[in-house]
Amino acid sequence: MIKLSHRYEQISCRLTVEGFPDVSTGQGSQAIGILTGWSLALAGHTELEGKREHLEALLRVVAPYARHLISGAPRVFGDPDSPVAMHPDGPRHRLELRSSQPHTPPLTLHLDDAELADLVRCLDQLVLDARLQLNLQTPRPQPLRRSELRKRVPLGRRIAAPICGMAALGLAGAVSWMVPTPKPGSFSPAQAKGPSSLVDPGKTAAPRKSTAPGKTASPGKSGAPGQIGATGLAAPNRAGEAPTPGAQTQSNQGAGTRTGPSQAPR
Amino acid sequence: MPNVSTALSRPTPLPRRGLERLDLMLLCAEALDLNGGEAMVWMSEQLGYQSLFPNRVELWKRRCHNPLRRATRRGQLQVEDTDALIRILTAMAERLYPMLRQLLSAAEPESVSEQRWALFRGRLQELIEERLNLRRVGVRKLLDPLEGPQLCHQLILSLALSAGSGGVERLKASLLDPEP
Repeated sequence: MIKLSHRYEQISCRLTVEGFPDVSTGQGSQAIGILTGWSLALAGHTELEGKREHLEALLRVVAPYARHLISGAPRVFGDPDSPVAMHPDGPRHRLELRSSQPHTPPLTLHLDDAELADLVRCLDQLVLDARLQLNLQTPRPQPLRRSELRKRVPLGRRIAAPICGMAALGLAGAVSWMVPTPKPGSFSPAQAKGPSSLVDPGKTAAPRKSTAPGKTASPGKSGAPGQIGATGLAAPNRAGEAPTPGAQTQSNQGAGTRTGPSQAPR
Repeated sequence: MPNVSTALSRPTPLPRRGLERLDLMLLCAEALDLNGGEAMVWMSEQLGYQSLFPNRVELWKRRCHNPLRRATRRGQLQVEDTDALIRILTAMAERLYPMLRQLLSAAEPESVSEQRWALFRGRLQELIEERLNLRRVGVRKLLDPLEGPQLCHQLILSLALSAGSGGVERLKASLLDPEP
């Protein structure tokens, strides 16, 4: 059986895969179903070679890294025990390849944006090639989470709003604390007299009649018991002042002596 | 927030920020290609979107859903329309890939690279001033001499990484990102 080789090329990157068709599953003569090896040549760097698991590890790291980079939120991909890892490194990208041999230092490649784009395009071509029937496990691109995107907003801008809010709250609290609370016994006699002059059944009955004519007594019965009690209580509020103890007592007395709420017209 | 794991499996309309980025990237493609408007219509025909965009006015009307536009259109863009625009953009990015690569390459001489960036930013600025609402903060950031170059670099890098058929899903996922 002839060994097949497919090549995917970009300006600074060349990816070659070799293998055989898996005849047992009925694959065509040009398809690669059994991967025997692959090599990646990056311009100006050492040529890399590996097996299927290394290719899958490369795909698992480079594709999500590119996905995050499009959203402007680059981060490290690849576990410490993974054969491949990718780190953002200033304006460049650091690709780390760890050997399975013990006591072998990892190989580090520094790629610029153009070289990374070339590598991503090569891997895209490989994944989309219908002649490769390897069932490579590649992660599907997904929208990022809000927490992942938060990092791209500078820290100062992120904390500015909560700090301003807390400062405004503190300032409002301090101002309200400085305003003196009015004492209960500090009313002047003029204030106390004012509302009492309003307790005039003849004058205060008019608004109640106009607002709820169905429930109140007829205009001719302005001195009806329930109405007098109600107007007597409402008078201080109409004047726009707080009911003073004296005025309230007087109006309550009026209500109590003439009629009570229980005697209101039904 | 939409469920992240199923966001691409069911048709999800692009959020406001995604529409802004999509139109800005199309604008970048126009800045790179002097005949970009015509190329976009031609690409739409090549990809079989004549029923969606029978003429350039229809294409322009869909792009006007970008809230940063001077003459913006209200309402949400249909998923078929955004998918078609994404495919047109990735096809154009593939065609313009050599230029994108030149801009991004660190191997190029610095003076040449700076001239290329200055030319690109100048064209993009003209297009922005012609079509976008200059009172919007997002637009002012693009024209800012300090923040603008960084944003332009991010747009070009996004275009390069989403070039070709392999970039369609990647770009779409990126446009569906929630608000940070």
